[in-house]
Amino acid sequence: MNPSSFGRQIAALRRFAGVLLRHPQSALGTALVFFFLFVAVFGAQLAPYANPNDQSHAPRVSPTMDIGALQLGEHPFGTDRLGRDVYSRVILGAGSIFRIAGLGTLISVLVGSAVGLYMGYRGGWFDELLGRVIDALLAIPALLLALVLVGIIRNLDFEIGSWQAELADNVVLLVIAVLYVPVVARVARSSALDIKTREFVEAAEIRGEPTYYIIFREILPSVIPALVVEASLRFSYAIFLVASLGFLGFGARPPSPDWGLMVNENRGGFYQLTPWALDFPALAIAILVIAVNLMSDGIRRAVQKGN
Amino acid sequence: MTTPLLDVENLTISYRIGKRWIPAVRDFHLQLAPGHVVGLVGESGSGKSTVALALMRYLSSNGRVESGGRLAFAGEDLLSKSAAEMRSIWARRVKLVPQNAGAALNPSLKIGAQVIEVLYAAMGIGGAEAEQAVLGMFHDVNLVDPEKVADRYPHELSGGMQQRVVIAMALITNPELLILDEPTTGLDVTTEAVILDLVRGLMAERDTGVIYITHNLGVVAQLCERVLVLYAGEIMEEAPVDQLYAQPRHPYSLGLLNSVPRLGQSKADSRLHSISGNPPALAQLSSGCVFADRCEFVIDKCRVDKPPLEQLGDGRAVRCFRWEEVDASFLDPSVETSYQSSFHGDGEEQPGRQIDNEVGDKLMRVTDLKKHFPVAKSLGDWLRGKTPAPIRAVDGVNLTLGAGQTLGLVGESGSGKTTLSRLIIGLQERSGGQLELLGMDIRNSVRERSPDVLSKLQMVFQNPQNSLNPYLSVRQALRRPLVKLRDMTPAQAEAEVSELLRRVNLREDYADRFPDELSGGEKQRVVIARAFASDPDLIICDEPVSALDVSVQSAVLNLLARLQEEHGTAYLFISHDLAVVGYLSDVIAVMYLGQLFEVGAASDLFQPPYHPYTEALVSAIPVADPEHKAERMLLHDVLPSAQHLPSGCRFHTRCPRKIGAVCEEEAPPWREVDAGHAIRCHIPLEELSAQQRSFLRPEEIG
Repeated sequence: MNPSSFGRQIAALRRFAGVLLRHPQSALGTALVFFFLFVAVFGAQLAPYANPNDQSHAPRVSPTMDIGALQLGEHPFGTDRLGRDVYSRVILGAGSIFRIAGLGTLISVLVGSAVGLYMGYRGGWFDELLGRVIDALLAIPALLLALVLVGIIRNLDFEIGSWQAELADNVVLLVIAVLYVPVVARVARSSALDIKTREFVEAAEIRGEPTYYIIFREILPSVIPALVVEASLRFSYAIFLVASLGFLGFGARPPSPDWGLMVNENRGGFYQLTPWALDFPALAIAILVIAVNLMSDGIRRAVQKGN
Repeated sequence: MTTPLLDVENLTISYRIGKRWIPAVRDFHLQLAPGHVVGLVGESGSGKSTVALALMRYLSSNGRVESGGRLAFAGEDLLSKSAAEMRSIWARRVKLVPQNAGAALNPSLKIGAQVIEVLYAAMGIGGAEAEQAVLGMFHDVNLVDPEKVADRYPHELSGGMQQRVVIAMALITNPELLILDEPTTGLDVTTEAVILDLVRGLMAERDTGVIYITHNLGVVAQLCERVLVLYAGEIMEEAPVDQLYAQPRHPYSLGLLNSVPRLGQSKADSRLHSISGNPPALAQLSSGCVFADRCEFVIDKCRVDKPPLEQLGDGRAVRCFRWEEVDASFLDPSVETSYQSSFHGDGEEQPGRQIDNEVGDKLMRVTDLKKHFPVAKSLGDWLRGKTPAPIRAVDGVNLTLGAGQTLGLVGESGSGKTTLSRLIIGLQERSGGQLELLGMDIRNSVRERSPDVLSKLQMVFQNPQNSLNPYLSVRQALRRPLVKLRDMTPAQAEAEVSELLRRVNLREDYADRFPDELSGGEKQRVVIARAFASDPDLIICDEPVSALDVSVQSAVLNLLARLQEEHGTAYLFISHDLAVVGYLSDVIAVMYLGQLFEVGAASDLFQPPYHPYTEALVSAIPVADPEHKAERMLLHDVLPSAQHLPSGCRFHTRCPRKIGAVCEEEAPPWREVDAGHAIRCHIPLEELSAQQRSFLRPEEIG
């Protein structure tokens, strides 16, 4: 990469950030996402009790937090019926949701854009065939497909410690990747269809460039803005899906501090006893999903301005 | 002039960019009497469309007319009118015909209904009365079969017909002022000629005042009485049209006139004049003359003080300190003489014009080249077991091209020029025929061709905007073909990049720029440099200058001519502009519906005998000389579909010289005029010559 193109990228990034942060909603969303990301990364240092499953506290303590006095107290979000500190559990749960939703989105964007760009550029029967497969996958409701996939993989018998078992533990991550590959592929394909008719792509063909060069060097850069927007949107859906699967009992297994799972464990009759044990993880899910949505709105705006 | 229809003085129009108001048009004047036509000439960015919108008070929300100016329409001050009052004026009295007629029509309404809607909104006329009025109007704008047209949707009409519908829509309320914003740009010359004739005829009948906006000096010469030349938002010169062309007083007008190639001018005779540099950015105008940086007459004073718009009497005005020194003697004389000599055909062979195809190095030979696009079967076709006829875009083309020659390919859009070029370059697979390059058989598509063949064939595209990858620097764009096709090491390629830039007259530091930091002309230079990087024998140029401004066009044409001389590269040059093709070509081929109808030396092609189709194309060119409003041979009907081709001679449905049944039944023979010049027509050559000489007298054109 030569210095001038590096400078341009810095300038473009700065412009992008400028537009993103100019709107108060998207600035707020971005700030919240980064706050959650910070919590996710440094969760172990931030949580007062490093072990989320430590049941040595008094059960059913109501939140000790006093916002007016800026004091957290011993159990800011209270403890649940088993005596676990809800505050620590919410903090430590952020890591897994970011890991699963983030990695799942990343995989789906990488695979999906490669598949979609190839489909769009190559066209013909390959595009036709894969296009039908994608249409079929998109016709199945996402949550239903996720439940089926999780159900199948969970019921397979693996040796403990084998890589297959490792895989089964990350089944939600895989499900997200599988679910969103067709969605991302469709976006990448339609952008590639537009770009491939531009003369600079024809100029590359006249030079006899191989397909991978044309796809990744000539077409991809122009498609990246659309992919960034799609990725941010997928990420917000992924978070929602992870929480939903956790709530339905198909995600993380007890006693892990998964937000969706925590909502599930404390609903029903237990809600009368310890409402805070449900309220705080639910609030965390809601804020994070809204924040990612606001941010992705801002990203879309910034990308459109940039073009 | 009693009460002028339009009286504009001291008009300044600004656009808000970020937080600043940038004056896009400054100090604009205009007087227009009813029944007169004023031309507004300028390149892109000169502010001509802004003026049109401001005159209608129809600027977008980020534009405004600054106070202090006057804008009076039929004695009424438009600037103080409310939006509601303006709406009633827009509805009846002032009309705009936009450039893109297709986008101006509602795609989901039938043509007739749309025009009736206008009539109803403006005058409250509806029902059968409105229908009659609309059909009458369609008849007036020469739409064949008005009832049928009224019953169609916009996408079912050709571009020329759409433009006529929009003109009918504008005229139906009998407006007092009609503003035409580049109404023929993007249309074929043959269609353009029809539209111009139409506008001229309609103006003569009605007392409508017309403002005609264009970048085409030929169109202005043919249509307008007075011309305003606009540059960077200021009037440079105002003059009656004949005086402007005979004796321009502003260096910019002079430059524009000199930079347009005239019909019959050739690269062998002279280089074209060009105006160097680029128009200034509106946000950073100097205090001096806006044209100073590109002016050949510039003195120190021009860079400091802004020259006033001086009135010279006779309705002339010019914004230049040195206008007295600018006169007709600066008009390129070589243009005139070469033009005449080639038209009179005085027999002197010009250098580089020999087109004896039997001798010399043959570079490329195309034999019976075909491209048929299959048409998908409809359900009805499946049930009846029929296969629909394919679209025969290219249908049996034979061509030979010598090394270092330029072959010009002309024809209306839809004639198959671009498909032919794509078959040769290999972007599309041919359905039949052979293609030989340097005696070697060339394979179908680029994917099957060897790097050796690839490096010999290159292409320059029409739209410089899309020809360069916006995410790659000029250096990256130029380095790739060097490494890929000439096996250079990175260090060698680096040195060659600088060399390539130097050859297309760009500074070395352009290597680190990105396409969005280049002007249109500069982009096209880079594209040309990229095409030359692999040291090709043949470059296909598909309308390489049609997207560029007039003042930049000539520089690019000169560059192409010079590079050809230096490298001995052959060009296949496609353009709808016959003067441009004529300038650069040694041989010209005329294409119609997938077949060639005439092939000949460039100098022979613009004089009789020619094929009736060539004749129509040549006569349709708006000549940039108001003295010569040549009688035109108009082609009225639209191009037939390439799927259902006419029998016999494909041109017979539109041919003004059709002789009878033989044209409908038999394919015409090739008739040889002389070596290398052949015409495909049933009419004997002697007869053609006789008729055409009487139609186009040399003194009338030249």
